[in-house]
Amino acid sequence: MPETTKRIISLTINGTRHEDAISDNLLLVDYLREDKRLTGTKQGCDGGECGACTVLVDGQSRISCITLAASCHGCDIHTIEGQAQNGRLSAVQRAFHEHLGTQCGFCTPGMIMAAEGLLRRSANPDDDEIRAALGGNLCRCTGYVKIIKSVRAAAEALQ
Amino acid sequence: MSETLPGFRLTQPESVDQAVAAMRAEPDSRFLAGGTDLIVNMRRGLAEPKNLIDLNGIAELRSITQDVDGLHIGAAQTLREIGEDEDIRHRYCAVAQACDVIAGPGHRNVATVGGNLCLDTRCLYYNQSHWWRKSNNFCLKYKGDICHVAPVGKRCRAPFCGDLAPVLMVHGAEIELAGPDGRRRIALADLYEEDGADHLRLAPQEFIVSVHVPPVDAASVRSGYAKVRVRGAIDFPLAGTAVLCNKHDNGSMVFVVALTGTNSRPFLLGGVDPVAPGQNLDEAFDQLEKLVQKQVSPQRTTTTAAHYRRLAVAALTRRLARELAADLADG
Amino acid sequence: MTSLLKHTVAGKPIPLIDGPEKVTGKARYTADLDVCDSLAGRILRSPVSHGEIIRIDVSKAAELEGVCAIITGADCPHTYGVIPIAMNEYPLARDKVRYRGEPVAAVAAVDARTAERALELIQLEIRELPAYYTAADARAPDAVPLHDEKPDNLEREVHNEFGDIAGSFASADRIFSARFDCAEVNHAQMEPHAVLAEYDAERDRLTLQSVSQVPFYVHLMLARCLEMDTSRIRVIKPFVGGGFGARTETLNFELIAGLLARAARGTVMMRLTREETIITHRGRPETQVDLKIGFTRDGRMTAVECEVVQRGGAYAGYGLVTILYAGALLHGLYDIPAVKYDGYRVYANLPPCGAMRGHGTVDVRHAFECLLDRAARELDLDPFALRRANLLDAPSRTLNDLMINSYGLSECLARVEAASGWHERKAAMPPGRGLGMACSHYVSGAAKPVHWTGEPHAVVNLKLDFDGSITVLTGAADIGQGSSTMVTVAAADILGVDVARIRVVANDSAITPKDNGSYSSRVTFMVGNATIEAAKRLREILIDAAATKLDARPEDIECTAETFSVRGGEQSMMSFAEIATAALADSGTITVKGTFTCPPEAQGGKHRGGAVGSTMGFSYAAQVVEVAVDPDTGVVSVEKVWAALDCGFAINPLAVEGQIEGSVWMGMGQALCEETRYANGLPVHAGLLDYRMPTIVESPEIEVHIVESNDPLGPFGAKEAGEGALSGFPPALANAVAQATGLDIDDLPLTPDRITEARIAERRKRRQATNRKASE
Repeated sequence: MPETTKRIISLTINGTRHEDAISDNLLLVDYLREDKRLTGTKQGCDGGECGACTVLVDGQSRISCITLAASCHGCDIHTIEGQAQNGRLSAVQRAFHEHLGTQCGFCTPGMIMAAEGLLRRSANPDDDEIRAALGGNLCRCTGYVKIIKSVRAAAEALQ
Repeated sequence: MSETLPGFRLTQPESVDQAVAAMRAEPDSRFLAGGTDLIVNMRRGLAEPKNLIDLNGIAELRSITQDVDGLHIGAAQTLREIGEDEDIRHRYCAVAQACDVIAGPGHRNVATVGGNLCLDTRCLYYNQSHWWRKSNNFCLKYKGDICHVAPVGKRCRAPFCGDLAPVLMVHGAEIELAGPDGRRRIALADLYEEDGADHLRLAPQEFIVSVHVPPVDAASVRSGYAKVRVRGAIDFPLAGTAVLCNKHDNGSMVFVVALTGTNSRPFLLGGVDPVAPGQNLDEAFDQLEKLVQKQVSPQRTTTTAAHYRRLAVAALTRRLARELAADLADG
Repeated sequence: MTSLLKHTVAGKPIPLIDGPEKVTGKARYTADLDVCDSLAGRILRSPVSHGEIIRIDVSKAAELEGVCAIITGADCPHTYGVIPIAMNEYPLARDKVRYRGEPVAAVAAVDARTAERALELIQLEIRELPAYYTAADARAPDAVPLHDEKPDNLEREVHNEFGDIAGSFASADRIFSARFDCAEVNHAQMEPHAVLAEYDAERDRLTLQSVSQVPFYVHLMLARCLEMDTSRIRVIKPFVGGGFGARTETLNFELIAGLLARAARGTVMMRLTREETIITHRGRPETQVDLKIGFTRDGRMTAVECEVVQRGGAYAGYGLVTILYAGALLHGLYDIPAVKYDGYRVYANLPPCGAMRGHGTVDVRHAFECLLDRAARELDLDPFALRRANLLDAPSRTLNDLMINSYGLSECLARVEAASGWHERKAAMPPGRGLGMACSHYVSGAAKPVHWTGEPHAVVNLKLDFDGSITVLTGAADIGQGSSTMVTVAAADILGVDVARIRVVANDSAITPKDNGSYSSRVTFMVGNATIEAAKRLREILIDAAATKLDARPEDIECTAETFSVRGGEQSMMSFAEIATAALADSGTITVKGTFTCPPEAQGGKHRGGAVGSTMGFSYAAQVVEVAVDPDTGVVSVEKVWAALDCGFAINPLAVEGQIEGSVWMGMGQALCEETRYANGLPVHAGLLDYRMPTIVESPEIEVHIVESNDPLGPFGAKEAGEGALSGFPPALANAVAQATGLDIDDLPLTPDRITEARIAERRKRRQATNRKASE
């Protein structure tokens, strides 16, 4: 077995500063789920195929199951757990809840983070933009109809 | 703590020289760019480097500039940055189109042009788990001695499935490489070899520093990219075609075509005749379609029939050429 | 009956009661459970398709530091399965392996990497046998049997005939027939399989948490395979990330985790990869349908003859039910005077098939509705008119003795016909575009459960306590379809209380009453009715207490909006809290029970296999699909879908819409691009790149129309909503593609390469015909 070195990374997760000793080969998703116990981020595939593990790194959607934690040193990370403010759902979360953008809920955290990433750069996306931005996030329950509706509703709520 | 990936050390050089030195110090290393191909493969046991050299922290690799010599893209520019560049969208339309249809947005936010040009070849017998490949006695490309696609052959037939190579090739791109022997510049087309197990003509320890694309006269050149795939996102190309149409002052027209996803290398279509002024364009399109059908050699490396990939990419080439020619005529 | 009630909650759209957990990441799925001290479990899988196990040597693996337990087939001599008469699978293979990927050994170790290293050290010697990957090969006369008791590799044959087949075909003006081949598909629920097993060695007890749709069946099989008394086992279902039938039977990894935890005398967490999840399979089998239908000139069906061959994979699973469903649900949608069915369920050396959304019906319905369209074309009838010529009446019984109490198909047809602008637009479709339609139906729960004990089909407990809250205790497994929300709405509506007053506790065998689980769309009908009954009992108690307090007769007490009052008497009103306190004063904590049992007349005919297909009520659906087919690539784009479904009554219209959209879309996946592919028994499709479920980019707008036929026995009149529309999509798509391309394609899915091949074949045919004509 090749030797795996450890390093200290410091980064911000959902607004809180963290400093941790991690192995170089640690994936961001494993760091979040196991080290930080942020299990809201899901894994639906064997690497980079489903989008369930999507988080925001410096405001952009990233697939955490193929991202090295070590490469996130100095980054600002947002996960599903950091979306609610003062215990109240974010606009995107509320829209997904109220418009049934979630059924089984497993793709939902990744879907919401991808939508969040979209709405941060495009306040009023049309359906094609929504489709393009969520193109890497698979859902097996909804047929995506109410996911598109949810993102639209969130955009309206944020206006 | 889970160890999803095998152990390795991560080196993060800040300059090209440091990266070269890091590779010299630890020859069993791999360069890491966006990781959307390499990390996936490492998760499946398709690569077990002792050391990863992360190229993302090298400032020289992260720029897009334009000057009289044309367009210069640092190898670590992400597909998203390239696809969103207004000038690229305007002048190098095919490049932007290709960026937009690669994988999903989460991939495009980190995947780089250098990484996409060096993408590993793909095959249904290769892109599988360790258990799967072991049960199948591995294959010619990795750890085995037989090609399950063409068992009588001695060559791996896995196709190259990058979307950017063909579009950059029709634009006449060159790439700058850095390695222990210094830097060199080659035509992008010369990077590739028709061997699925060893398709990159990189010297040991070399990596791409930048991509250089000659200037384009927006008034007389159009380019586009079309991709054969089943779904509207995520999928690699079952085949892809880039077409550039250049209308000369004398009214003649030249089509440049490059193909991906069908062979172990992306390649420029050979034998394309220029279209003389007044010549029937449909004949030219017929010729393109036939040439593509003849020159691509898709194999049974995907679940989608090889014959179909040949026909579809030829038909798309024809369609794309027609659209570009019409656009030039209009505009 | 109940539908005459004025609803306060039912019938209005409400979001899922567990939605906030799902959108905040607080929902804990099995893989998320906190397991600081748990061992990691990994499974060694067979590298060959068919063979005799000569030797398994685990000694080297056992020596590896960090390995806590290793088990093999020798550790469990008991079979498991879901149909009591067809349990032929071992948690870990014994003597023989029958498909690539079948579990043969398992390791529990301190971490996953150590467990994986241990797997590499296990020596496995197998003598290979010939393997069969198609039904035809497995049925060949000289084929080696997979199971000794089935020498011809036929798991089950079904033959039945209702009505006068020969006479009815003789009376037909035209007879149409075709053979359809439908690829195998997989559920591909987003959550990979996972299980957490905690063995308490001190007390000899096992607690297992899993991704199941059927915790009760898992409980029974754990007891059987671990030889433990059921009372020592506790099964809990955390949040589950989708099922679609993948988890409607006990799965090998659940039993392996239980066995491993006991062997390790500790806690084992097992998270399967996506590849392993797909290998565990239980999907819809590859199916060949030979169909023949006779018609009168005006489009009345006179007789149907159907032969179905399903490639079932290596073990029985739900197989015999699937092959029975395929025949039984030829009935129940249209009025057909005579139906003959022959079904063959065949073993093959591939992962076992099972139940998948629309269990048993989808491929047969595809064939049926495609053939109806072809017949309509030949008979010069509109596809809608042809369906209308064959409608059923309700109430009635089908030829095979299925009960039909409500039938909204006619309205479904009218709704999608109007909404899609069918008549104007169908005729005006430009080249390369097409409109297609089809109908479908599905059961609202099997009226006779697979595991027949005589108990009620559903039991629900309600608890009212000092805090004034009402807790619904149910074993119904919410897997995302919203069953917990449904029981909340049902209880709140009957009790006249706010939804917020109700909590649902579901799926903990130590707490909640037994439920058969979430499959065959049984939950709304059965658990919904049981909830209504329980809520009515509680309401009676509260009304009695209110009557005493308000000094009135119980029949004059009203409860709405959490306020009890005497009918007509405005002055005397009491709050829910006051009445609850009064009621509790008599008895302390109040628990009531509601049950539901399907009456015998719903349980199907007396013929062999007659229970399959029997149900309390069928949902009905019609849909129109508009497509564009790319002339160069053969890629089919679905432009829009109009779907109408008769769900009896929409208890929660939001959830009903979501179910219809989801099922239509899943039908689209099967129709367009989803299929499993094997290379000598190895799954080529075992990831989400190669198992291509549609992405959001190419997924269309789906316009949903809810039709309410008010089933006399349904809860508030409701029937199922989550499966009925699925099987209509593939034929509606194929019918639209037929218009767009002029091609009748007999295969599913309609991938671009199949469309292109069909085009080439058609061109060749035309050329040959021209040549023939020229040479004549």
